Amino acid sequence: MSAADPAKLPEDEARPCAGSAEEEAAMDELQLDENRGSKTKGEGGGGGGDADDFDAWMKSRQLVKPDDQLDLTEAELGEEVSKMLTPTNTNVQRNLVVYSFKEGEYVLAPLPGNTVTLISFPGNSLHVDSEEARRQVEESEEIGYPLPMPNYAVVEQRETVVEGEDEGEGEEDEKTDMDGKQTSAGDAGDEEEAEEEEDEEGKATEGEQATETGADDEERPGETQPATAAPSKKRKLINQFNYCERATLTYNNAKRSVDTQTIPPPRSSFGGNVLQWVIYDTYQEDYEATQKATSSQGDHKSRSSKKSYKKKTAMAEQLNRKYMRCWQILERMINQNIFDDIGNDYRYWEDPADEYRDGEGNLLPLWKFQYEKTKKMNVTEITFNPSYYDLFAVCFGSHDFLKQPNEGYLCLFTVKNPSYPDYIIQADCGVMCCDIHPHYPFLVVIGLYDGNVAVYDLRDGCKEAMYVSRGVKCKHGECVWQIKWGPDMADGEINFFSVSSDGCVFNWILMQNKLWVTTIITLYLENGITDGPDGTKVVLKSGGSCVQFHPTNQTVFLVGTECGLIYKCSTAFSSKYLMTYNAHYMSVYRIDFNRFDSNIFVSCSGDWRVKVWEDMRADPLFIFDLGSAVGDVKWAPYSSTVFAAVTNEGKVHVFDLNVNKYKPICVQAVVPKRKNKLTRLAFNEKLPFIVVGDEKGVTTSLKLSPNLRVMVKPPKKQLYLDQLTLQNAKLEKLLSLVRELPEGSVIPDAATTVRS
Amino acid sequence: MGDEENVKEGDKKIVHIYPLVKHSDMKEEMRHEVVELSVSMCEKFSSNYELVAKMIKESMDKKFGIYWHVVVGEGFGFEVSYETENILYLFFGGNLAIVLWKCS
Repeated sequence: MSAADPAKLPEDEARPCAGSAEEEAAMDELQLDENRGSKTKGEGGGGGGDADDFDAWMKSRQLVKPDDQLDLTEAELGEEVSKMLTPTNTNVQRNLVVYSFKEGEYVLAPLPGNTVTLISFPGNSLHVDSEEARRQVEESEEIGYPLPMPNYAVVEQRETVVEGEDEGEGEEDEKTDMDGKQTSAGDAGDEEEAEEEEDEEGKATEGEQATETGADDEERPGETQPATAAPSKKRKLINQFNYCERATLTYNNAKRSVDTQTIPPPRSSFGGNVLQWVIYDTYQEDYEATQKATSSQGDHKSRSSKKSYKKKTAMAEQLNRKYMRCWQILERMINQNIFDDIGNDYRYWEDPADEYRDGEGNLLPLWKFQYEKTKKMNVTEITFNPSYYDLFAVCFGSHDFLKQPNEGYLCLFTVKNPSYPDYIIQADCGVMCCDIHPHYPFLVVIGLYDGNVAVYDLRDGCKEAMYVSRGVKCKHGECVWQIKWGPDMADGEINFFSVSSDGCVFNWILMQNKLWVTTIITLYLENGITDGPDGTKVVLKSGGSCVQFHPTNQTVFLVGTECGLIYKCSTAFSSKYLMTYNAHYMSVYRIDFNRFDSNIFVSCSGDWRVKVWEDMRADPLFIFDLGSAVGDVKWAPYSSTVFAAVTNEGKVHVFDLNVNKYKPICVQAVVPKRKNKLTRLAFNEKLPFIVVGDEKGVTTSLKLSPNLRVMVKPPKKQLYLDQLTLQNAKLEKLLSLVRELPEGSVIPDAATTVRS
Repeated sequence: MGDEENVKEGDKKIVHIYPLVKHSDMKEEMRHEVVELSVSMCEKFSSNYELVAKMIKESMDKKFGIYWHVVVGEGFGFEVSYETENILYLFFGGNLAIVLWKCS
């Protein structure tokens, strides 16, 4: 018998274990069988049996008999059947012939080999002892491929069960042994292989025994501690069925693309023709041009072009001015048409209620003048133009030390057009005061918060100052509080005086192209010498806060100081004061001379008082307490006994001493008490109204009711007397009452706060 | 008078050879430099315009960045577009025109 008819083998031998896959494989191919067999044993012994082994064992329990299996009795089974085995394969035909075309006859074909391949199955398993396996084991030891932990216990258990079935193993052993015999009985061509395999098998069995003994040794501890079985044997070989791949996918960073495109450089195009005559002509032209240029001055050309440009701009400006003027007239016309009734009220409205009130009057608010850009600034000065009765200048700045604006304005409004100022002059810090020249109504001088002064000519436009103080020495050290045009000098030079917190009164002369400044007086305090650093003496100065010139004697002026003193000074000399009035307890805000009697003046201060003084009399004639700081006080131009004052409470107080020596005849709140304060006031020279400025940049015009401007009626016997004489007489009569006080006795400061 | 006119005629016949910038929108400083360079190159290789153009172009590329184009010749027409502030149209030597412009 040979391997050519292996299918009959199980039948002949009547082996009942035909179902085992292992054994079938063993029949099919010898080598494979050997390998498998040895492997299973090796693994079984080593305790690493896998699922196939387990299944094989399970199937052996339920034997399946083929239907056509013979039923043999015990005797028959026990009977020995002898079979003769010959080394010749009887199935091989020995007389096969093939026709040979070369020899022209049939020749014997060569014998086919004894090998019959029924199934070819390339194996992927490795023999434990093979070179490859050893290498893998070494590698795994190096790298370390431990078995997954949970499998250990299962494998151990299974192993023990397998070990318990010694019979199965024995059978298998027998079977392999028999296979080995078969192979050894096989063809001579397979001998070498077979020998090798036998060797291997031998080793395998040896190894198996060794492992079996090892397993037996381990059996007892393996039951109790299956996981601690020798770890070196737990290593599994890696093949295509047994490997584990682990991978993680990391996050890919999000991709983003950013691009920019730059602007390509600008391009132009140029073209031309180069011809000899072109070159020649160009040279000629250039040569002639240079000849000309050298003969007449080189920069003549450029100068003329500049000139023409200047001319053009000047023309445009002139044209603009022309249009501006037209628009102004138009605006004024529209305003007068719209507000016709109010416009008439200036002149013609008389409060009929005054006839029934004795000694009391009221004020009728007319327009509000404001300029957009000065809404948050304080009105710091109001002055009427001496030549144009309707035009008045309003200065905008700030009285608050901490809230100084970066700009200041001087706006000239006219009562004929309340919507927009006629002239706007902008300065780079708060404008604190201004004055309009009495003889040149276009000349305006302003004093700035930073101590500078500037003169503007309104005819030239308001953009550039005609004169500006320049330099550190040619300016006040501190805020300029009041500025007044002086009478022209002997040689006709125009000049003005300014007073500042730095304690100096300056005289500024308008020279040909600059301002010439001289110090008129420095307001040194009496007994005001204190120790300075390093043993030096410092003479204290008092800061001036207002200045007023005597209406008739133009060399004499009064200076109010921040200490509350009023100095009477002369421009002729600066060494001493003509008179010092201890006028107030706080800063003197404004002084005003009476329009009819220049010996009488009134002063107001932050100590709530308004005082009426007579020249060279140390004590005031009248004292009025207005209940809050008095910002401004002015005598009326029409009456010798009427003056008005504005307070921080937002009220206007109008006094007529002839009517009431103790109380104002009119107290009227013009702006809300809490939110706003009144700062300045001015009487119109011609019409019976006043303008008051407040802290919000608003100037309000108020019409005086008839009771506030009572004229003196001439006595019946002296009808020829004019109003001026009568007014003087009225004042004189009033003053005589006060003057009657004995010389030297002090008027008690008994004024009580006026309540409206 | 007649004499003077004759003299003037004589003057006119003088061949001007100074460099004359016909057109340029370069900055003053750059123009001076370029004119100087062109003149020196023309004088150096007066017989070979091609070489002049090449040398000028190369040194311009080095000095003012690449993409310069230079034309040197006695008669030609051109119509070019250039990066603004980078053109010079120059006459030199009485019969030579040099156009330099930059355009990438």
